[in-house]
Amino acid sequence: MMDAFWSSCTKDLEKELSIQQFNTWIKPLQFTFSVDPCIEITLLAPNQFVLQWVKDNFFLRIKQMAEKHFCKEISLQLKIESSLDTKTIGLTKNITKITPTPVIQNLIAPIAQKAFKERTGRLDPSFTFDSFVAGKANQLARAGAIQVAESPGTAYNPFFIYGGVGLGKTHLIQAIGNFVLANTPLAKVRYIHSEQYVSDVVKAYRHKAFDEFKRYYHSLDLLLIDDIQFFGGKSRTQEEFFYAFNALIETHKQVIITCDSYPKEISGVEERLISRFGWGLTVAVEPPELEMRVAILLKKALLEKISLDENVAFFIAKHIRSNVRELEGGLKRVLAYSRFTGHPLSLDLTKEALRDLLTIQNRQISIENIQKTVADYYKIKTIEMYSKKRSRIIVRPRQMAMALAKELTPLSLPDIGESFGGRDHTTVLHGYRKIMGLRLSDPIIGRDFNILLHILRS
Amino acid sequence: MKQLLLDILPSSSPTLINFVPGRNIELLQTIKNILAGDEKEHFIFLWGKIGCGKSHLLQAIANDYTHRKLNIKYIKCDALCDGDAEFSEIMDSDYIAIDDVDRLNSSAQINLFNLYNQVRDEGHAIFLVSSSTAPAQLSLREDLVTRLRWGLVYQVYELTDEEKIQAMKNHATGHGFNLSEEICTYLLRHGQRDLPSLIAVLNALDRYSLANQRQISIPVLRELMLTTA
Repeated sequence: MMDAFWSSCTKDLEKELSIQQFNTWIKPLQFTFSVDPCIEITLLAPNQFVLQWVKDNFFLRIKQMAEKHFCKEISLQLKIESSLDTKTIGLTKNITKITPTPVIQNLIAPIAQKAFKERTGRLDPSFTFDSFVAGKANQLARAGAIQVAESPGTAYNPFFIYGGVGLGKTHLIQAIGNFVLANTPLAKVRYIHSEQYVSDVVKAYRHKAFDEFKRYYHSLDLLLIDDIQFFGGKSRTQEEFFYAFNALIETHKQVIITCDSYPKEISGVEERLISRFGWGLTVAVEPPELEMRVAILLKKALLEKISLDENVAFFIAKHIRSNVRELEGGLKRVLAYSRFTGHPLSLDLTKEALRDLLTIQNRQISIENIQKTVADYYKIKTIEMYSKKRSRIIVRPRQMAMALAKELTPLSLPDIGESFGGRDHTTVLHGYRKIMGLRLSDPIIGRDFNILLHILRS
Repeated sequence: MKQLLLDILPSSSPTLINFVPGRNIELLQTIKNILAGDEKEHFIFLWGKIGCGKSHLLQAIANDYTHRKLNIKYIKCDALCDGDAEFSEIMDSDYIAIDDVDRLNSSAQINLFNLYNQVRDEGHAIFLVSSSTAPAQLSLREDLVTRLRWGLVYQVYELTDEEKIQAMKNHATGHGFNLSEEICTYLLRHGQRDLPSLIAVLNALDRYSLANQRQISIPVLRELMLTTA
């Protein structure tokens, strides 16, 4: 009778839950019982984590099922597997017919991984200082990060890292988080992307839960906030962040921020926040140079336990220059092709695997072409694109060309700046933002931009 | 007098079996690996011309997952899709397909960016994205594009004319009628050349010939094309 109950209970739960939920939470449970003096059911969970989850999510449902089945009140308990010595009926005995497919088996581990991440500040454990490839482009940022990780709240507060997309900012700040957690496992660490922070503010606003929101963020030991440029124009978010920032800094709790630009260049963010961002240490990460890109590929291959020839790494690094994510994407593509063909990694195989990508890149618009087209359009000399002149008649077309170069080429901002007479990447960003703003407010600029875009694309 | 037709058509929902791979054999193998749970990479980006089979592949995986009672979310993007509803509450999905990502507006891009980060954090769902623009030429947020290029990127090649003819013949056989090479060539010369359009004409031709009780031939096809034009 007891066996019959557990069998029907698991069958019902199997119908109610998704396969991976069932396999993760219900399947590992072992059913035990005693009937004297009254029916007492004990479910044995393999660990505390499963126990807590089942308690929070399925306890009431299982109790209801049991009471319905036996038509009387039942005592239901949850315990960790090794802590009881009673008659056990393994659940696996009852559902041996359910054999998870490889897809489902792959799904189970990540669920536990998600829960682990919740407890560790949503950090990716693979982002560590060891797995971070250092080079000229990021050595200052890395050195600062290590100091902050070793003495959080005292070395540099806030620690502000800025640079283009895919250059390792997230990796670096999460490495700090992982380092702090490794040294102080009870530290309250939270990594959050600024878009998610904005969405949390909206949720708090909607549910009138600002007190709870404040309590949570003000209680952290380490706050890692990524891509803060997305706070631009969001005044309520900025206000909340301002309070959280002050509360944390005052209590010597560490704040770490990343952004795509230097603090003073962030548009739409209040001055009081921008000035505070400069209180600690501000460092830049630049796009990696060739040797560093090769080192990144070799490191990645090492992590994947693949032997990668340096010539192959050089070939990929030479052709994929813009950022680390694309570099890794390129390597994945080569590895996938090698697996598919069954041929070992070689230079020829790499060229073949990346052929599509390289063809597309060759077809792309060159920066020289953009400069010439824009100069012709505004009837100025192409040489003015690189000149130091700052008169409006020259500056606006130059900014237009910079904005188009950012839109139409995969080049990094420093590379674009270099092509415009060795200008700084922040000048390029400023020019880009200026044109993007004017596109909306000035119909003539908007029209010019669209026409030039069309000419260059066609 | 026209023959009335029962509106029963053989099912031709997208599967990997009715996908004509052409030069996309490597991609097809990767997708088979995904379905077998043997693919380590969860993020795949497909790009290629309109009508080259991207949606077919995305839907074929969705159908396979649905068949196995796994949770799927297939989103066909357009300029009106703001992503608020589309990209939220899909975290329980085992498979997420974002078709025509290049058509997303700016607010939807933010939502997709957040979704991508969440999926990556969870390490759970298979995430496929399609675009008719090459990733390097996508005019989406740069931080989103670099993420989409982080996984495996495949170009989906259009079929050659010979492969299209073979695909049309296979389709006709599957629907119980024969198709001559001549008709296929005629269609390739005079109609829209992408496979979905060609298949749509074949379906219309099948129904037209049945309704008018005439054998499928070039005059019948020409008549149909004139009528629909």
